[in-house]
Amino acid sequence: MKSNDIILQTITKVTLFVIILFSIHLFFAGHYYPGGGFIGGLMTSGAIVLLLLAYDLKTVAKILPVDFKIVAAVGLLFAVGTGAGSLLFNVPFLTHAFGDMNIPLLGETSLHTATLFDLGVYLVVIGVTMTIIQTIGESE
Amino acid sequence: MAFQILLNIFLAFIWMFLKAAYDPMTFFVGYFFGLLILFTFRRFFNSRFYLFRIVAVIKLFFIFIRELILSNIAVLKVILKPKLDMKPGIFAMPTELKKDWEITILANLITLTPGTLVIDISPDNKTLYIHAMDIEDAEDAINSIKNSFEKAIMEVSR
Repeated sequence: MKSNDIILQTITKVTLFVIILFSIHLFFAGHYYPGGGFIGGLMTSGAIVLLLLAYDLKTVAKILPVDFKIVAAVGLLFAVGTGAGSLLFNVPFLTHAFGDMNIPLLGETSLHTATLFDLGVYLVVIGVTMTIIQTIGESE
Repeated sequence: MAFQILLNIFLAFIWMFLKAAYDPMTFFVGYFFGLLILFTFRRFFNSRFYLFRIVAVIKLFFIFIRELILSNIAVLKVILKPKLDMKPGIFAMPTELKKDWEITILANLITLTPGTLVIDISPDNKTLYIHAMDIEDAEDAINSIKNSFEKAIMEVSR
């Protein structure tokens, strides 16, 4: 029997974006408040799992035509890249740097390379979680 | 389209509440992140990602400005010519546009670009009757301009 999921799907259409926005908030809160790349990535994949529950694997693959294994690989590249970038400046591996920059619109913002490392963690967490869930979901 | 804009503003407000900062700056940052999320999930919606449509509107505006300048120069040439050898005439142009506002905008664009003037629209909204200042050499060229206008309007409403 096929049930009508219209309420679940309509609620998902709005809730999905709120969850992802909250995960971005958690990601950027990581430096001063509880949060960070891990919990942010986990919550983003949680939002995609909600999409999977409301729709099916094929629809989600159409909405997000992303190979999550590649997402994990790009995340690792980010993490290793920020670590290796410090070698260019004659400092030990994984030494981070930060500086205040004047970005138009945002004003004086302090940028830290640890955020890029965190972005790597974020992408790896999304990639790994989604790969696990999709692989289990696809097997008969 | 309206749903996407509304959702984006809603997300910007949620961002402000999450940050507990109620200044325009936070709103813009939240709006930007909402835009990114909406762009990532653009295939989720039935209509297109709404920023594409705004780009199409801007494109239509610039096409209009370009045509306005070009055809004003064309009219200037006709006026300054010593011999009056132009042949005015009325022709019908079938249009594929359906909605009322699309036809209105197309008619206004045709009228505002000199050389052509919309006289009447058939009752079934399928044909535009246009008066052309110089019909002999212009009909093909004008039809191509119509196609560019019509295409640009379709790009907006698609």
